[in-house]
Amino acid sequence: MILLKKPNIHDAPWMILFSALFLSFIGLIALNSISHQNTTIIQNPFYKQLFFLFIAFFSFSFSFITPKYIIHKYAFIIYGVGIFIVILPFFGSPHAGTYRWLNVGLPFNFQPSEFVKIFSVIALARYLSDNNLKIYKFRSIVLPILIALFPTLIVLNQPDLGTALVMLSIVFPMLYWAGARPFYLFLLIAPILSILTAFNVILFSIWAFIIAIVIFYARTKIIAGVGYFFGNIFFGLLARPIWDMLNSYQQNRIITFVYPEKDPLGAAYQIIQSKTAIGSGGFFGKGWGYGTQTHLKFLPVQESDFILSVIGEELGFIIIATILITFGYLLNTIIRYSFLSKDKFSSLILLGLGSIILAHVFVNTAMTVGLIPVKGLPLPFISAGGTFLVTSYLMIGLIMRFSIHYSD
Amino acid sequence: MLKSDNIVSHKQYQIARILSWVMIIILIIRYFQIQIIEHEIYRLKSNTNRIRKVTKNAPRGLILDRFGEILVDNYPVYVLTAIPGEMNNKGMQFNLIAKYIESDSSIIHSNYKKYYRGRFVPTRLAKDIDFLQLSNLEENKLNLEGVYYDQIPERYYPNGVRAPHLFGYVKEIDRMIRKNLNNKQLYELGDLVGWSGLEKQYESYLMGKRGTYFFEVDASGREVGSALELLDTRPDPGFNIQTTIDLDLQIFIEKLLENRRGVILVGKPETGGILAAASAPDYSPDLFTGLMTESKWRSVKEDPNTPLINRYIQGTYIPGSIVKMITQIAILKYGSYDLNMSHYCPGFYQFGDRIYGCWVTDGHGDVNMTQAMAMSCDVFFYKVVQQIDIDHLYSVFTEFGFGRKTNIDIPNEAFGLVPNKDYMFRRYGKYGWSRGALLNLAIGQGELLVTPIQVLNYINLISTKGESPNCHFVVVDNLPNNSKPELEAIIWQQVHDGMRSAIIDKKGTGKKSDPNIDGLSIHGKTGTAENPHGDNHAWFTGWAEYLNEKYSIVILLENAGSGGGVAAPLVNKVFKELINNNLVTLK
Repeated sequence: MILLKKPNIHDAPWMILFSALFLSFIGLIALNSISHQNTTIIQNPFYKQLFFLFIAFFSFSFSFITPKYIIHKYAFIIYGVGIFIVILPFFGSPHAGTYRWLNVGLPFNFQPSEFVKIFSVIALARYLSDNNLKIYKFRSIVLPILIALFPTLIVLNQPDLGTALVMLSIVFPMLYWAGARPFYLFLLIAPILSILTAFNVILFSIWAFIIAIVIFYARTKIIAGVGYFFGNIFFGLLARPIWDMLNSYQQNRIITFVYPEKDPLGAAYQIIQSKTAIGSGGFFGKGWGYGTQTHLKFLPVQESDFILSVIGEELGFIIIATILITFGYLLNTIIRYSFLSKDKFSSLILLGLGSIILAHVFVNTAMTVGLIPVKGLPLPFISAGGTFLVTSYLMIGLIMRFSIHYSD
Repeated sequence: MLKSDNIVSHKQYQIARILSWVMIIILIIRYFQIQIIEHEIYRLKSNTNRIRKVTKNAPRGLILDRFGEILVDNYPVYVLTAIPGEMNNKGMQFNLIAKYIESDSSIIHSNYKKYYRGRFVPTRLAKDIDFLQLSNLEENKLNLEGVYYDQIPERYYPNGVRAPHLFGYVKEIDRMIRKNLNNKQLYELGDLVGWSGLEKQYESYLMGKRGTYFFEVDASGREVGSALELLDTRPDPGFNIQTTIDLDLQIFIEKLLENRRGVILVGKPETGGILAAASAPDYSPDLFTGLMTESKWRSVKEDPNTPLINRYIQGTYIPGSIVKMITQIAILKYGSYDLNMSHYCPGFYQFGDRIYGCWVTDGHGDVNMTQAMAMSCDVFFYKVVQQIDIDHLYSVFTEFGFGRKTNIDIPNEAFGLVPNKDYMFRRYGKYGWSRGALLNLAIGQGELLVTPIQVLNYINLISTKGESPNCHFVVVDNLPNNSKPELEAIIWQQVHDGMRSAIIDKKGTGKKSDPNIDGLSIHGKTGTAENPHGDNHAWFTGWAEYLNEKYSIVILLENAGSGGGVAAPLVNKVFKELINNNLVTLK
């Protein structure tokens, strides 16, 4: 007989749930303001969001009561199921030109990639928490990257660049957390930056200088260090001729993929409208329901990806700052519990889920004010969106479950 | 279970905390910059420099005849729009507008509700504004706030061709329609979408691409110029489609069918192209453009003669004798028929305890197969069909395309019905039907149902000895594959001989179809289909050969009498017209 210590739900950090609910409440206020034009309840984003919050409550409860050991035991099976459901839409007909959505016979569609993000975290945590793993070796970090890369490539083909970015963004924090050498992580990212900076001489020189310093301080063998340095330079020098070999339409396709702002009818217009809306809101906003820019209705997806422009215009900087600080508090609570965890699996799960939330918050919030190129990515708990809201609360349930110290 | 201990160091913890706070703080600083430091710039911009996005519908592609004559065109109509956010007192505004254009303010109000998409999006109030209404509005412009005009292209039928079933109609998209569209992101409320006929089938070619214009407007909504930082796109018209229709012939057959109920189809068997197609009664093709009143719509919809139905693809009819070639082929292929054998027709035939009559009650006397075709003798077929089975007949019917869609390029085609043993068992049970059913099918009666377009395909296949491509109205690169019946040369010859003698034999049932023009030879078969709902349907199907070109024809007249007496004379007229008036140009 093994005596299991039962988890005590009073030990769970309820402030995490309250923070999420507080953010959802602000989201509902904004959605209500822009919902007046919709006459039917089905199309009304406000009622839709209320409905999905109700479902999200169940997904939260489900993940909150699921024992840790079950998740640990079936981690790779869960991952396999995730890969399966994210491939499924490719067998159906494209929805608005993409394969993101799965029609499950309900009045709304279901977006499998939202679940796969979480499943990747679970699989990675399982792999990285293995006792026999020699994380300090370079080859031990290759498989985790493949685990994350596989669903990422599928999602990239849907195509959904935003979600793919989020999926990839969990790898490096989790590897770092598991104890991988930061220098190896640097080695992995460096070639990409070498290619990107190759198009600007000054940037490229600065970057080469940084590589040199890092290699010097990492105290690698002379041959490896020199080889790695010139390998990167070579990568950079190669990028330019390859780019020139592409046809102009291929170049354009890549440019608009990375910088949608170059497409003047789509994203550039969105950014101008979004910045005008937010900037004109000022400190206290124009007041609930009084956002003239918002009500121009020129901002597509203002209920999901651009919800912050509505909030920024109508409720002002004060609420935007409140939202961001709440997110900061939420993330740091997660990181703290991750640090305090007794076991490595729980710790990695918490950090991975925290990374997903942080990636969403950063990409969405920065995109809305033109800090980074436009990527269609919703803001957790606030943006309208069925599957995403449900999975966000699923994550909250997992986070709270894994924050309780007990053994099972 | 979770044995491996957490070994995260305090340094790692601090770095993670600091990094996450740094990211959050960068964002807060950026929002502070935009909302507080640059607030004045954006406030001014939002008050005085709103950008308005105006979309302009692209004209749909034209529909042309085989020589490029325009069958379906566009012409611009004026619409009156309003920007809701710029009208202070809607009720009063609507009353004023109603007064100026002499309309009813409730109509304007219901349009407003129908097209409303947002406070600053132009919303349609009225359509088809004429010059007088326009000048009235212009005179009183100062009283109206936020009211604009727009020009939109609308369908127009310039050459007197009606063919509403062929062209189909376009529908204005309202909320309900948009919800059910497959590719709804391509359409806005008020756009036109092909709803039936060619307009629907070739929607992706015809629809064109909407243009987008950006204007800077001031606080009161007046345009102050185009928004320079954003590129306008002009509307991109849809592609024109060229049909196989011959304009003059189409008009001719439409006139011919005036005040009748039925179908005329004329085609070219070698290409499968259809030269003319009419279903009567029809309706005016511009019924759906302009303002259609409820009562006008109801009168068309509830007309007992069902003008909305496209009879040549949706009407299913008992074929009668026009499918005797199928019986003939089935007997020659599966039976053991001796071509020199004759049968005696006394005018009736007793089978079991039932008497099956011939259409000539006095009988045809001794007839061989060719004579039986010429005179359409039923008794001959009652007798010889007993050599074969109902499934033999079924397989020949399906080889010639009956019982399934022909894949003609207009939507909503009917299947028709060809019974086989399975069907008979399912419908009547094991003992509910007898071999007598075979006798009925042999002369095209019984459960059989065909559409006129299936008959055209059938006659195309016979005239080309199985080589005719799929029937179509628009020439495309990849036509669907047509069925390709393969028969021995002697069977084809026997079928052609029989159809030829139906025209040239003294007693031939189809002889009234021959206009007796030098060099023109006609093959044909009449049909008089008994139907339980009223008088007989008159059928004629066949083809003419002239200067090495073939022209196939199908005529069906509902409840009109005998095929030889009523349908054949119309065939005569059609072929005469073809040859005298425009055959020279038909190549």
